[in-house]
Amino acid sequence: MEWGTSWGSAPKPIPNLLTIPEKAMNYILNFENVDKGSLALVGGKNASLGEMIKAGIRVPPGFAVTTDSYLIFITEAGKKDEIFHILSDVDPEDMESLNNVSAEVQALIKSASISDTVQTAIGEGYFQLCERCVAESVPGAVRSSATAEDLPTASFAGQQDTYLWVEGADQVIKNVQKCWASLFTPRAISYRIKNNFPHEKVLISVGVQKMVNSRAAGVMFTLHPTDGDPSKVVIEGSWGLGETVVSGSVNPDKFVVDKVVMEISERTISAKHIECVYDIEKGEVVHADIEPDMQRKCCLEDPEIKELVKIARKIEKHYGCAMDIEWAIDKDFLFPESVFIVQARPETVWSQRKKESVIGKKSGYQLLMEQAMKRIKISG
Amino acid sequence: MAEEKAARFPDPHEFQVPSELEGWEEMYPSHYLFSKERGEWESGQFWYQDKIHAPEPMPPLDLLFQEAWQISLSQYTTRVFCIPPAQGIAQRMVGPYMYICAVAPPPDEVIGEKAQLFEKRVFYVFEHYNELWDKWLTKFKALGKEMEAIEVPKELPKFVPEDQVLPAPTGYYVSYDILESFNNLVNQMFKGWQYHFEMLNLTYLAYLMFGDVCRKLFTGISESAIGKMVAGAYVSMFRPEEELCQLSRLATSLSGVADILKSEGMADQKIAELGKSEDGKKWLEAFDKAKDPWFYVSCGSGWFHYEGSWINSLDIPYSYIKSYVERLEKGETIERSLDEVDKERDKTVAKYRELIQSDEDRDAFNNAYNTVRTIYRYAEDHLFWVEHWFHTIWFAKIREFGSLLVDNGMINEVDDIFMFNRYEIPELLTEIATGWALGVDIPVRGDYYKAKVDKRRKILKAASEWNPIPALGVPPEEVAEPFTIMLWGVTTDKVKEWLKGMGEVSVEDVSELKGFASSAGVVEGTARVLKRLKEIVDLKEGEIMVCPTTNPSWAPVFTKIKAAVTDIGGLTSHAAIVCREYGVPSVTGTGVATSIIKTGDIIKVDGETGVVTIVKRAG
Repeated sequence: MEWGTSWGSAPKPIPNLLTIPEKAMNYILNFENVDKGSLALVGGKNASLGEMIKAGIRVPPGFAVTTDSYLIFITEAGKKDEIFHILSDVDPEDMESLNNVSAEVQALIKSASISDTVQTAIGEGYFQLCERCVAESVPGAVRSSATAEDLPTASFAGQQDTYLWVEGADQVIKNVQKCWASLFTPRAISYRIKNNFPHEKVLISVGVQKMVNSRAAGVMFTLHPTDGDPSKVVIEGSWGLGETVVSGSVNPDKFVVDKVVMEISERTISAKHIECVYDIEKGEVVHADIEPDMQRKCCLEDPEIKELVKIARKIEKHYGCAMDIEWAIDKDFLFPESVFIVQARPETVWSQRKKESVIGKKSGYQLLMEQAMKRIKISG
Repeated sequence: MAEEKAARFPDPHEFQVPSELEGWEEMYPSHYLFSKERGEWESGQFWYQDKIHAPEPMPPLDLLFQEAWQISLSQYTTRVFCIPPAQGIAQRMVGPYMYICAVAPPPDEVIGEKAQLFEKRVFYVFEHYNELWDKWLTKFKALGKEMEAIEVPKELPKFVPEDQVLPAPTGYYVSYDILESFNNLVNQMFKGWQYHFEMLNLTYLAYLMFGDVCRKLFTGISESAIGKMVAGAYVSMFRPEEELCQLSRLATSLSGVADILKSEGMADQKIAELGKSEDGKKWLEAFDKAKDPWFYVSCGSGWFHYEGSWINSLDIPYSYIKSYVERLEKGETIERSLDEVDKERDKTVAKYRELIQSDEDRDAFNNAYNTVRTIYRYAEDHLFWVEHWFHTIWFAKIREFGSLLVDNGMINEVDDIFMFNRYEIPELLTEIATGWALGVDIPVRGDYYKAKVDKRRKILKAASEWNPIPALGVPPEEVAEPFTIMLWGVTTDKVKEWLKGMGEVSVEDVSELKGFASSAGVVEGTARVLKRLKEIVDLKEGEIMVCPTTNPSWAPVFTKIKAAVTDIGGLTSHAAIVCREYGVPSVTGTGVATSIIKTGDIIKVDGETGVVTIVKRAG
């Protein structure tokens, strides 16, 4: 399965709404029901989650608000034409104009009303999620998943927003709307213009995924990000939600593991001074100070590290390329069911490079030894 | 604090040994002493204690093995196979402890010259490796048999036997025989050691190459991962243990034999009991068959006369058999599973190979790997034949000379002969031959020699209570000589640690040691520190063994311990190899484990990161 090539194909043309019967619309799709073939409908992030579920990786449950829903939303009441008109003569170098235009478009989107059909669909999706989790209301992570995002050759990461600990159908809908709006941040607008990506061609899907009640979370690469060494898995983690590691606001603990012999060859414990946690009183996710005696405590146990590496290997094998993965350890579950994968995408830096010889230039003596060794007749 | 105090080790000419060791110099030949004639050169070298071959104070006669390998190992590198960038390894005595240094590379022109010769000579050896190995084994076994055939006169007779005079006088008699026999013995030992390195240096080169390639392809790959990829070669060194296993199995199938072998009591008692029944006699026959050569195993490293061997310390193999029989009756498997080791190796190699991305690199990996697989077995096989089998024969012969000297009043005990070096013993033998020749009641200088023995034993005992300094001289910026790193496990980092230790960090302050991650696994347990080989009887099941270095001849011990930590030893040290073969987690080459850790301490051994943590101090 050539994952790489399927990513590389051009985005599908925008469907003509007038010709699609309403019954055939996919407003929402559960993650279990999507895969890489659903890219156009659910975007990269969500399609990836579906692929992982198929591969038997433990992923928090959720659903995607499809690009169709978005398309309906911006097509209704002529919003689309208005938006693209505003964007049509923006100078990407003019910061002030960019900011103004972005603010205008975002406000437009956030304030617009959403049709009943779409709202009902989202509400239905959320309700089903709560049922699955046997809870009255499930805190969710509402994440953008653009169709152009996560393409291996275009690192859009961080262009659009994520909203954490969103509870209740109304809040979910509101944050989905915010994600739609985030397609038009100044950065996103300027990036597309600079890279000749037509605004109309970028559709957005939004994922709604059960929050992991993270004891610890972070990222991992299925190669060494420093030198591209393919024999290693490098894990970085800290207390609380993974955002502190992803955003770089904390010095994480670091583990380098040889994935062939499953040996932890390096362990660096850092002073982790803050964590991202849900504050019940404030009703939102905050950056909280970590107690001094927890700061230098290792955030992962060895079995968890090894389980993460096992999962990383599985993901890498499934995708057939080096991967950049977000993980979290859920306090509400017992090991190993506590180990979750929140996101996975192909690694972009080393995979681009030409497959050159790592050994490189050899000394005269090494060449001599090589010649000598070629003389050996292989024994059984 | 301690860090800045010392940036160098003491100069070998200025370093003082404790006063209790006074007079130690006379035990060893003069070229072993730091000397003003070679002063400048000596001061500029980096000398470190050789804990692999000489972890204990050196009895004078036992030094001859070291003399022999100094020449042999070095010459193959410098004069025979001409390995371009390397030279030999020099030795010196500091008190009764031996220090070594890797001689710096030769000048560039010489390297160039050597490269040409290397090409011709080494290519040939690699090409014909398997047949050369067979030839080697044949000629080495013949040499051992030759040594075994040496006749040591049992006594100096009152009158020479009739048949040496009539019908015609032989022309030379026991006075000559004893000198010739001893000379032959020594010559054969040197010859054996010349043979020893014939293929060993090249084996290490191949291993180094493979290690090099792996480290370039997979930065930070552990020693134990590399070791897994060359594991499982059939090695003679493990054959003695296999024979014990077979004998143990045989015992359980013969009536009454297992019970006798499981009983408490000494080996000779059991042998006497077994001799009383048919099945017992059958078993004893099987034991005798296995004995030569497989029980010509030193109870230790093979380097010291006092270690004993299985054939003259039968209690040792009998005690191993006792525990095997007990385990068999419990339904346990006693053999190492070579199959598992093979499968693990093939799987590991395939996985690493899969990760290689360029064809060029894959070729380099495959070539290096195939070479190592083909010739690596020599590294372990030779150990049995030389250090164990050959040395066992030597010790037995020397003891025959010891008996002769006792009977002629020169020394008190047979083993006292080992208190004299190989240059001195001909003196003693000449004196008794002379005394015999001169006539009846001729006095010999027995008291003089007996007093020397006393003094030297005292010096060696005092030395065993002294912790010698880890190194002398000028530390290198970077340790590059491959044997130093691979075999002795002395790296640039290790040297820096030793330097730090020069600032007198107290033992109690250290709670973590770093070494080579030689065999995977993480365990916690009680430490048993063994500084002397004979202390191994104190080792309890499930303890973590902490020692200067370990030996394949301790094979049965490895099924007992939870983990192993050593002072010295790198990737190809026997310590690391044995641990991997037995799946025992280990950290080797810590430099200071036996000084820092105390018996009874609870320690955690991480064979994956190479870290040993003292969790709780004893008492």
